Amino acid sequence: MSLSLKDVHKSFKKDVVLDGVSLEVPTGKTLVLFGPSGAGKTVLLRLIAGVIEPDAGEIAIAGRDMHGVEPEDRGIGMAFQNFALFPHLSAHENIASPLTAQRQSKSAIADGVQRLAKLLKIDHVLGHKPKELSNGQKQRTALARALAGQPNVLLLDDPLRNVDAKLRFEMRLELPRLIKDQNATVIYVTQDYKEAMAFGDEIAVINGGRVQQVGSPAEIYLTPANTDIARLFGDPVINLLEVTPQMGPSGPFVSVSDQHLVLPPSHVGDVDRPCILGLRPEALRFVEAGAPGAIPLTVETEAPLNEKTVTLAVTARGREIMMSRPAGTPGPSTGAAHMGINASAALLFDRDTGALIPSQDAKTKGKVA
Amino acid sequence: MQSVSTLERVLRGTALSLVIFFFMFPIFWIFLMSFQTNETILRVPPSMVFEPTLTNYRSLISGTLEGSTATLEIRFMGNLYNSLFLSVTSVTVGLLLGVPAAYAFAKLKFRGSEDIAFTLLSFRFAPPLLVLLPLTIYFQKIGLADTYVGLIWVYQLIVLPLILWIVRGYFEDIPSDIEYAHRIAGHGFWSTFTKIALPLAGPGIAAAGLLAFIFAWNNFIFALVLASADKQPVTVGALAFITASGINYGQIAAGIMLSIAPTFALALYAQRYLVEGLSLGAVKG
Amino acid sequence: MSEAMLQISNVDKFYGPLDLGVHAVKNVSLDVARGDIIALLGSSGCGKTSTLRMIAGFEEVSRGSISIAGREVQTLPPVKRNVAMAFEGYSLYPTVTVRDNIAFALKSSGRPAAEIAEKVAEIAEMLEITDILERFPSSISGGQQQRASLARALIRDADLYLLDEPMGQLEPQLRTLLRGRIKYYIKERGLTAILVTHDQTEANALADKIAVMEDGEMQQYASPEEIKDAPANLFTGTFVGEPPMNVFQAQATASDKALVFALQDGSELSFPKSSFAAALHDRIVGLGKVTLGVRPYAVHRKETGAAARVLANQWLGDQSHIAAEFAGGALVLVEHDRAALAEGDQIAVQLDPEDLHIFDPRTGAAISHGASLVG
Repeated sequence: MSLSLKDVHKSFKKDVVLDGVSLEVPTGKTLVLFGPSGAGKTVLLRLIAGVIEPDAGEIAIAGRDMHGVEPEDRGIGMAFQNFALFPHLSAHENIASPLTAQRQSKSAIADGVQRLAKLLKIDHVLGHKPKELSNGQKQRTALARALAGQPNVLLLDDPLRNVDAKLRFEMRLELPRLIKDQNATVIYVTQDYKEAMAFGDEIAVINGGRVQQVGSPAEIYLTPANTDIARLFGDPVINLLEVTPQMGPSGPFVSVSDQHLVLPPSHVGDVDRPCILGLRPEALRFVEAGAPGAIPLTVETEAPLNEKTVTLAVTARGREIMMSRPAGTPGPSTGAAHMGINASAALLFDRDTGALIPSQDAKTKGKVA
Repeated sequence: MQSVSTLERVLRGTALSLVIFFFMFPIFWIFLMSFQTNETILRVPPSMVFEPTLTNYRSLISGTLEGSTATLEIRFMGNLYNSLFLSVTSVTVGLLLGVPAAYAFAKLKFRGSEDIAFTLLSFRFAPPLLVLLPLTIYFQKIGLADTYVGLIWVYQLIVLPLILWIVRGYFEDIPSDIEYAHRIAGHGFWSTFTKIALPLAGPGIAAAGLLAFIFAWNNFIFALVLASADKQPVTVGALAFITASGINYGQIAAGIMLSIAPTFALALYAQRYLVEGLSLGAVKG
Repeated sequence: MSEAMLQISNVDKFYGPLDLGVHAVKNVSLDVARGDIIALLGSSGCGKTSTLRMIAGFEEVSRGSISIAGREVQTLPPVKRNVAMAFEGYSLYPTVTVRDNIAFALKSSGRPAAEIAEKVAEIAEMLEITDILERFPSSISGGQQQRASLARALIRDADLYLLDEPMGQLEPQLRTLLRGRIKYYIKERGLTAILVTHDQTEANALADKIAVMEDGEMQQYASPEEIKDAPANLFTGTFVGEPPMNVFQAQATASDKALVFALQDGSELSFPKSSFAAALHDRIVGLGKVTLGVRPYAVHRKETGAAARVLANQWLGDQSHIAAEFAGGALVLVEHDRAALAEGDQIAVQLDPEDLHIFDPRTGAAISHGASLVG
């Protein structure tokens, strides 16, 4: 079932939580709601679930306006960040809850619970109460309960947040497939950009109660709409340097530590405009001292990070630069070094608004992805 | 280092014993008194050594008070029955009315809900006598004076605010997400109240019911004013022991033992609910 | 070799009576050299926090000794141990500003005001809290409170700096950068620090050596590289490393030319006999049943090799994480560019014997990392 939100507003007392949110999710697709805590993501899910009502705007499931429709009549499954398992009921009874509501026969309920429990590898703990389950088992039980009623719309509120790193990684690989098999329309809330990129057909970046950008993972990562979004995606965080483009013999360029970084010709109109240059850590590499455009810097520290090596370095002008390279590739761990920039990966933002200044190059990249 | 903690343990044990002795001594003393005659009780100096007798209990149950000069008829067993009936019924009515109200106050934040809840609590602030005098007049006019119904109604002044405020706290402690999860799973409002909210607040409801029972049982002033002899609970009935010919301490002690027995037993039985109720860990974990 | 700044010798911690209570820390010994950063890494309940609290003096040592700068401290109160501590929770003094919180220890040691102001400004800039120095703790976010708590500890002059989950609340965008700055700050001044964390990324990023703890026991105490390349046992191997190590149960048999590992689904991994040292070869064959581990980055797609079917391919911007069905389980690969693979694609993978970790399935102890026998 398709899901659509039109200009949804919600305030608590004087606190505006959602300020005109519109979103469309086609049937069977997954939309990731991504944003920092307090961005209004959870409130949005609750509005869709119907446990709270919007102040204004329309929420429609399969084209039908949900205004006044009770939560139990919306055909929704939901997994909560804190699991929200019924503490006085066994894992089996928890998972069976949507099935008992549908007044299915005892054997149908038992079969349904068994099938999901096997799939999620919790069939050996079905008799346990929530407090006897490990965090991972609780999370899987909550997920099974959300799926059990075979809902048309599945709302997942940061379900991997409270499980350990190892399980989170496993579930990140496993969960998208599990969800796809349900043929449900999915809204997945997360604060982890890796989950967002792994899960979403589309990602909606939400901040301050507004949708800031909607796009495929590649669009968001390669052409973030503003510096805030650029900072939210990627680890280590993107390097942002204040620059002012100038005109040179080979087209517009910016200076980074007295070295010229030539911009795509489409930036001709941005000469003398105060800008911010965005350089992803992986777009920076160590080069020989004499290489063209090599920027001298001093390496302060180096650290391994998820199969990458991350370097913190300082330019001659005292600007901090974060660089990353695949683990195992050589590079200086301390002292003087030189850096080269992959110019095609450079992003240019307006310094006042923080908005991306698209280049022809960046536009094509987004489309290909 | 081990010796320090041993000393600590001894000191802690001693302190605890002293506290227990301090609080339990009156009850223990009354327990002893209930097996003594007036003569042995009034000995100077008092002694722990005596020949136990069951006459006090026997005369209470048979209803005849043997004084030093005359024999008096008392209705102690009837009073005990009144106490039991009034307390149980009041608490039952209080729970039936108070628990759903507490849920509404906890979960449905409607206009003025805080004010109404506070007004209900404020009934406990007013001195009972202030309420009683006008109430007596009204009750006499509408024929509720000296009836069980009237008494149970007035008892709601004691039990209802108590139940409302204790149980409301427990309902508030149930995370909304758990109830939302039940609704979203396809169950209606009523089913969520009975299948999720009530069981999770169960220990709290039990604790509130128990406290309300004790308060109702111990009430004196309402029954004194509004009930005649045949509707009186033990608290009022005990006045009969103070006779013109003297005070019969042994029988008073036995009366006290009999009248605290039900609450004592109930408290012992419900202790685990109280403890469980006070630490609602299961819900939050 | 520099002297040991911290020496923990055969330390036990029991909650409750000695030898009968809950055994939270089991015979842990470790030396920390002056100027080193070490991390106590483990999941909750592994004993890392108890160990830290014993070093700080908040918790009694049940048995064993702890020395700081050559001085036995286990009977001294915290204030006499000359350690600085940053707390996981919100431990700032609520009634004074962030600036006064940070300057507190310096003020009470009677330093000149100008020096204090300069030091506070420097550390505040490093931790990006300059703009909240005049605010009160209750009006700042959890991440900011944590940074202030960190600043309050690092600004002090102490023999030892104890950092208890110092970055758990931090905004993710700041984490990697601040880790880099903090490491540089500590290293440049030659400070000695003990970090307690459940986050291996943090331990890897900051520590010279990591003590991996589980169930009260220290599993391994080594540099991050050594833990990655030569995990002492299966627990350490699978606990440290993100994405985690791929693990398979196998039955080893030897022929004239090859060592063959039969996997659970009946498929086989065959390596030339010559790729293993003779002693290792004999040990593997002697064991028969072994546990094989291979790190995700060491699994390579090739033209030919063992067949695997892609289950998921997730591009994270600078890495692709690929999960493939292999030998009845899931095999995870990491590639550093955007892999053009979709669910259902057939791929061929090759494992290099040099990248293979072999464990004894009964004890979990490592037998080999690469071609040679451990030890």
